[in-house]
Amino acid sequence: MMKTQLAMVIDSSKCIDCKACTVACKVENQVPEGHWRNWVKHAEPDADRLARGGKDTAGHFQPGACMHCEEPTCVRACPTGATYKDEADGSIRVDSALCIGCGSCIPACPYGARYRHPEKKIVDKCDYCSARRARGELPACVVTCPTKARTFGNLHDPKSEAAILMAANSTVRVANPESDTRPNMYYIGATAPLNWPVKAQFPAPISIWAKLAKPLIWGAVGLNALGVLVMLGKQVLMADDAPEAEDPENQKEATHG
Amino acid sequence: MGNRMMRRHTPATIFMHWFNAACWIFLLATGIGLIKNDDLQPIGGWYADLMRSIFGGGANLLLAHEICGVIWAAGFLIFGLVGIRKYVIPFVREIATFSPSRDLMWLVTKGIQMTLGHKALATIARRFGFAARIPDQGFYNTGQKLFAVPSLLGGVVIAVTGVIMMLSTSVITDPTIVQWSILIHFVTVGLVFAGLLIHIYMASIAAGERPAFISMFTGTVPEDYAEHHHKLWYDEVTAASGKEASG
Amino acid sequence: MPNRLNAPISRRNFLKWSGAAAAAATAGGRTPVLHALVPANEPGTASQVEHKFSVCGMCLNKCGLIARVEDGVVTKLDPNPKFLKSRGMLCARGNAGVTQLYDPDRLKYPLLRKGKRGEGKWQRISWDEALDYAADKMKIIAEKYSRCGMLFTPGSDMQSTFVHWFAEVFGSYNITTHESSCLVSRNRAYLDTFGEVPFSDVLHSKYIIMAGANRFEALITPDSIDLMTARKNGCKLVVLDPRYTKTAALADEWYPVRPGTDMAFFLALAHVIIMENLYDPQFAAEKLSGLNELADHVMSCTPEWAETEGDIPAADIRRIARELAAAAPAAIVYPGRRTSDYINSTQIRRSMAIVNALLGNWDQPGGLLGARKVGLASPELPEAPFYEDNPDDRLDHGRAHMMFEEEGSFKHMRDAIIEQQPYPVKGWFVYKYNPMQSLANRRKTLEMIDKLDFIVTVDIAMSDTAWMSDLVLPAPSSLERQDPASGLQGSSACACVVTRDPVVPALFESRPVFDILKGIAGRLDLGEYFDFTVADYRKQQLRKLPDAEKALHEDGVYYNPSKLYGVYEGRVYKTRSKKIELHNSRYADMGIEPMPVYQPPRQIPSDRFRLVIGRNAYFTHCSTQNNALLHELMPENTLWIHPKPASRLGIRNGSTVVVSSAAGRGEIKAELKPGIRKDTVFMGSGFGVLSTGMSNIFGSGACVAELLEDYADELSGNSAMHETFVQVSRKGA
Repeated sequence: MMKTQLAMVIDSSKCIDCKACTVACKVENQVPEGHWRNWVKHAEPDADRLARGGKDTAGHFQPGACMHCEEPTCVRACPTGATYKDEADGSIRVDSALCIGCGSCIPACPYGARYRHPEKKIVDKCDYCSARRARGELPACVVTCPTKARTFGNLHDPKSEAAILMAANSTVRVANPESDTRPNMYYIGATAPLNWPVKAQFPAPISIWAKLAKPLIWGAVGLNALGVLVMLGKQVLMADDAPEAEDPENQKEATHG
Repeated sequence: MGNRMMRRHTPATIFMHWFNAACWIFLLATGIGLIKNDDLQPIGGWYADLMRSIFGGGANLLLAHEICGVIWAAGFLIFGLVGIRKYVIPFVREIATFSPSRDLMWLVTKGIQMTLGHKALATIARRFGFAARIPDQGFYNTGQKLFAVPSLLGGVVIAVTGVIMMLSTSVITDPTIVQWSILIHFVTVGLVFAGLLIHIYMASIAAGERPAFISMFTGTVPEDYAEHHHKLWYDEVTAASGKEASG
Repeated sequence: MPNRLNAPISRRNFLKWSGAAAAAATAGGRTPVLHALVPANEPGTASQVEHKFSVCGMCLNKCGLIARVEDGVVTKLDPNPKFLKSRGMLCARGNAGVTQLYDPDRLKYPLLRKGKRGEGKWQRISWDEALDYAADKMKIIAEKYSRCGMLFTPGSDMQSTFVHWFAEVFGSYNITTHESSCLVSRNRAYLDTFGEVPFSDVLHSKYIIMAGANRFEALITPDSIDLMTARKNGCKLVVLDPRYTKTAALADEWYPVRPGTDMAFFLALAHVIIMENLYDPQFAAEKLSGLNELADHVMSCTPEWAETEGDIPAADIRRIARELAAAAPAAIVYPGRRTSDYINSTQIRRSMAIVNALLGNWDQPGGLLGARKVGLASPELPEAPFYEDNPDDRLDHGRAHMMFEEEGSFKHMRDAIIEQQPYPVKGWFVYKYNPMQSLANRRKTLEMIDKLDFIVTVDIAMSDTAWMSDLVLPAPSSLERQDPASGLQGSSACACVVTRDPVVPALFESRPVFDILKGIAGRLDLGEYFDFTVADYRKQQLRKLPDAEKALHEDGVYYNPSKLYGVYEGRVYKTRSKKIELHNSRYADMGIEPMPVYQPPRQIPSDRFRLVIGRNAYFTHCSTQNNALLHELMPENTLWIHPKPASRLGIRNGSTVVVSSAAGRGEIKAELKPGIRKDTVFMGSGFGVLSTGMSNIFGSGACVAELLEDYADELSGNSAMHETFVQVSRKGA
């Protein structure tokens, strides 16, 4: 069976920042007020260039969303695997029945792709419109875009639009150098802005757990287990260890406590 | 000295003990199974996967854990409220009464005795100038008290953090408290579990503990056992019903 | 992953049972997005899912869409992939059509004003009462002031044709439309040059100059989309705009032109093209009239001269002229649409049309195209009655030299109503139009309103104009209506017919304006003129297109495979000279400059700024700002101001400023923008509302109509909305 990695290949030079993709996503996925599953970033030339006018005044718009990374830091932050990389299609998913909305994954995403749903109180993010895909449709943002800047598909399927564009073009990814999660969102040619993803942050409880609590508990359990083993060993090896046999002087006083 | 049986545990406390044990086992098994994160999982991802395949997915596992957790906490809450005067207050008084010198000596002498044996205890006691005998104990010995207090407090912490995690998707707006609850829940369970290993050994495997183990079913212990292991309690009881103590 | 949430014992049910707070939202709970009107389903759980065609009604483009209806609730609007004009897209506003449909703020019942106008006190009445009332009022006005005592303003809508028809049978000539504050100057200029208003073949063009148009934000299909495709195919885009719009950002070159000087630039282009013989002499000989006159006229219009006027370097002007001509005929000076800017906006567009003419791009790939045949027929309607007591002309007749009689000029109409000259107009029927927000000088609109005895507004929202009305009637959204057919010009994309059938039944008590007009007509003894259904009407429209009904049913659109290029082969131009008129002798006869003569724009006083307006892709003009989804994109308007003058005035980014003009005053947050000229400020439309019925935006932003002084283009009567100078100061300064 063909390996699947769903991804987006985007020609951001086509983006006109009309926000159709963000609104389409909101409607399709009932994204609550104040939150977004996707976005358009923008890069503007500096004030001097704008003052001069002329040829050197190009700006750039960059559509984006959850990048369904190869090495997702969000998954690393989740205690229960409620968010996970789906082996079947490579997308990063949230199991809404397992997620308790602790929000540990939210700061762990360099792209700010996740949010805690104010009503459902679990974590939500782009899932490539799984309900639409189940019906054989493309994600809402892809379909609605006026300039068709976003394409979508299985990178390993040579017939998919995304794979075709990948093969025909050089692409770049947008990543924070300290937290390169190997995003599966590829921008054709060049894109801007580049330096906006932040370093993945793990909430204090999670890093304390990994770095301190886990070894601490191992230590405590190990120590106690060791004690048990020693006592068990003594019990097995010194089967006839009784105070009467050994020390007549203490016979009356010695007791098992 | 006759070997009549003394009543040590009531049916209610027996039930609650095994109720606690059963819930704890299930909760521990499912709880550890819920951790599916290589950085956090103490015994390896294979275990989380195993539990998920047994329960049919992480969501079912969580549900099972929560149901049992609620039953466990509710059970103790009801027991604690209904039996506050009859059971809770006496119990807490017993486990929380420490006598520093007696308890410290118990730890030393018992500890040596359990690990190195009576002979070694005698030797070391002689060497360091203390009596090579285990100090007399009350209803619960030092070790039992040192496990019971953290168990009780730990149990409360585990229940409270558990409830916070359960309320996360309904009433909690800032999830930071949930994140801390998960950590505290894990650490507390882990520490109590560490003590639990000793408890299980001492209560059911250690030599001479057979009567104690049986009493967790029958509710009674032989008099000589009681006199040897819990002399202070034995004296109290026999004094109270002075005629019983006749041989 | 199976949906745990539907399992008999789901985690969520369990949490409820175990006493977790009852405030827990159910799975797929009601989000603010779809408001409390709609029971939101968990995605993928509906039992009945339908897909229905319609065309979007959120702006004029009418993009084909497919509505997904789940258990009777519209859950998504997707583009119709077969819709060529939109290239299969649906923009932010189109998607937000769902939110408009289920907007809790939408008008639901007929409302009769209780207190004073503008107090916002309403009484809910029945439709019978409402129609009786309206007919009564119209009858009184007709008797006292003649039929022309009623003014009708139909907005841009597929049922507006019925408002026109009603006005006709009622007997009033006083109809003004949106066009009279939008594109009449462009229409005038191109009619008087080419004899026809063209469409641009953007897709195949190789060089486009966009001056005063912002296609990547002011979306027009297919132009906005084709512009990007054309650029990818090597088309060069040069943008002239006093502010750095998204179109400017995506252009090859952007010039922050001095507002109002565009004519100098284009006359200079003409100068270079003519002086350097960069035009096709054969085309010129065959098709152009007045080239010699033009050559003389632009002799002194050098790039150097234009630079001093417009701040665009002469070398660039010269270079652009050469590049433009080299790309001809696949080269366009983009005509634009909204040309309601300067008092000489028609002549400015004449200069642009003239350059187009010199490029020989008429009827050519990548150039300007005449209208394509769509094929709709006019329904056979009975002849409208004649009313003896009517005046000779419409109220605003003669106030602009070359007004379009069927569009009029709202600005002039308003003046005339205030003056009550040459005769009084006392009633006003408004449909899907909001001049309280869209017309310059709101105080004057209020003055006009004061002079009226009866105002009825038909709308879906309590717009500011509805707010000031006596009778407010709720109209359904386009998703709830059956509409007549409409022909669309898609330049090289298509020529097509669209229509609408209800996707869902009309909500609340909303009624299409056709039904309202029919109801009023019946009460005015004009019932015979409305004795048909929309379906009948449509059938008649389609009677010459036998394949149309099937295509509309199966594909949501009908394409007429009509000729695209070469439509003018063997044809003459509909002008006096039967050629393209660089020199317009008719103008000369009327005492108007036959060729555009440059006039510098009025000087901006040193302590003021020129206020310009414009559009963005999130909103449609002055409506949709209150739409819950679109509102999130831009919760309020801001005043764009350059950081240098801002700092001089002590204004920081985000601080509140007071903006004032001779027309009015407003308070608004400042947004410091290096990408705007230091002498210019900009603000978006649709905010600073009076109506509390726009609950998301009431209290936010400022009303641009309050600030704009009401100038008009001399020739067409088009509103001139870039002529206002404003004072800006820090609030509290």
